[in-house]
Amino acid sequence: MTHAPILAIVLMVFGAFLTPVVGISARKLGLKRAREYFVIALMLAELALVLSMFKQVWGGQVLTYKLGGWQPPWGIALAVDGLNMFVAMVVAGMGLLVAVYSYVYMERDTGLDQFYTLFFLTMGGMMGVTLTGDIFNLYVFFEIMCISSYALVAFRRKWDSIEAGLKYMIVSSFGTSFILLGIAFLYGQAGSLNIADLIQKLEGISSSNLIVPLSLFVAGFGIKIAMVPLHMWMPDAYQAAPSAMAALFSGATATVGIYAMIRVVYILFGAFAIGITFATLGLVTMVLGALMALAQRDLKRLLAYSGISQIGYILLGIGLGTVLGVQGGLFHLFNNAIYKTMLFMIAGAIVYRVGTSDMDQLGGLWKNMPVTGTLFAVGALAISGVPPFNGFASKWTIYVAGIEAGRPVFTIIALITSALTLAYFLKALNSIFLGQRPKHLSDVKETPLPMMFPIMLLAVLCVVFGVLPQLGIDLVRPAQEAVMNSSGYISAVLGGA
Amino acid sequence: MAAESVLFGRGFWGPIIATAAMLLIAAVGGLILLGGRRITKVKPSAGKLKTYACGEELEASDIHADSEQFFSPIRRVFKPFYRYIRPAHSGDLSNYLFWVVVGLIIILISIAAAMG
Repeated sequence: MTHAPILAIVLMVFGAFLTPVVGISARKLGLKRAREYFVIALMLAELALVLSMFKQVWGGQVLTYKLGGWQPPWGIALAVDGLNMFVAMVVAGMGLLVAVYSYVYMERDTGLDQFYTLFFLTMGGMMGVTLTGDIFNLYVFFEIMCISSYALVAFRRKWDSIEAGLKYMIVSSFGTSFILLGIAFLYGQAGSLNIADLIQKLEGISSSNLIVPLSLFVAGFGIKIAMVPLHMWMPDAYQAAPSAMAALFSGATATVGIYAMIRVVYILFGAFAIGITFATLGLVTMVLGALMALAQRDLKRLLAYSGISQIGYILLGIGLGTVLGVQGGLFHLFNNAIYKTMLFMIAGAIVYRVGTSDMDQLGGLWKNMPVTGTLFAVGALAISGVPPFNGFASKWTIYVAGIEAGRPVFTIIALITSALTLAYFLKALNSIFLGQRPKHLSDVKETPLPMMFPIMLLAVLCVVFGVLPQLGIDLVRPAQEAVMNSSGYISAVLGGA
Repeated sequence: MAAESVLFGRGFWGPIIATAAMLLIAAVGGLILLGGRRITKVKPSAGKLKTYACGEELEASDIHADSEQFFSPIRRVFKPFYRYIRPAHSGDLSNYLFWVVVGLIIILISIAAAMG
């Protein structure tokens, strides 16, 4: 479909504007849940749109869409290669599952017209960041994504969520300011905003002139992906956000942040030389995240620190800069989206049934929620890199990549961190599902089926990509090729200009 | 497949065989456990079920391992880390912004060093 790239963005933005209209109309006509069905239908259409590009992009083509028919670099273009196709699939897939999950999870909340409007704006922002071929456009969509996510963090309007939303907004504003400043530096030096055009123009600029803009981009995107030491906003925000949104942020938004980092640093700047910086910061991120997770009392906060730790693995893989390392990093990015979304959904299910995610107030819930408990165990084992789940396959790839890149110490640290991951997830499993059940939890019911469905689907993916890891590697290979060779991207966007 | 030999090039890892083996071992373990329970019957008595802590008798439902102190021996190993790094995660916004600035400086220096 020729217009699929722009439709994938426009559909989400239209969804944002139409949701309140659908909500008001549904209430007037007495159509219960029509708004939720509308949201799910739109997300299904979004996934179909993204998948309609799959065949061509996987065949090696780079899809370009010139807005208004203007030829790049003069006009704005959307460009879809293996890398952003992979990310768009993750975003659309996780968005759909979160929409299905929210159907029941959010039913007790008020102001759901605003909630789904913000959800669609976040989705539209993520799709825009993913599909655009213009660096300023990327910034604009990044801001749309961030601003709507601040509001989603504060959505429940409790003191802690408002405080977390404000903190997130202030810290993240630094990040987006860094990115804007980086774009200004780039434009000043190269006189272009088109990514493909910039790739060509930056080749003629001295690397010393690129240090400051590159640093600004890395710090800006680093805040978004919660790379240590820029990570501190994340546990507060994820703990306070509705779990459905924490699932979306940890799965899809983090993936988009990493994508933007790779697109700018490796493809735009071609700065593979700073891979060692990524790998080192990745190691610090994974160790600090794991050690902080070990000391948490709250499940959602534990998951947030765990998310920070997993970002460290992805940075390590990508930072190694080898074919295997980048494949491993991207495969882990994909797996992280699966099990992190799933674990936050389970945390949400616990909050939905029990009313708290404080592990000291939980216990023995396996008796009441055996399916949820089993799914949590699957997610915990997957994220800890225990075979035969998907986390093992991607972590193993990163371990082997570390050894092959001549950095066995990195592999050893990553291995030890995996053991720590297993330790804090066993603690969570024990505190929530095993041991003695407090008396007040004896009437707790199993997770409702519409909430259970996306969790089960993600659990199945954890097993499928663990038992058949080659599927995952095949899935990320076009993305890895796009990272390591941008010539096809440049010629497709600029048409040999 | 070539890609498979790249992914699992060192040593042998057949995910399907390994999964089947794990399931088989789990099934055998389960059978042994069930068999053991049949041979040795559970004989609960009031004395065995009573829980004492510091001279006090507690209800079983009141007992819960403190999640922060869970794995405290591991945490003791990393004591210096917790002493210095944990206070930085205080929730204080100015602290967060301080680390954003420190992070930018670290990134700037390390990128400058990497790019020569």
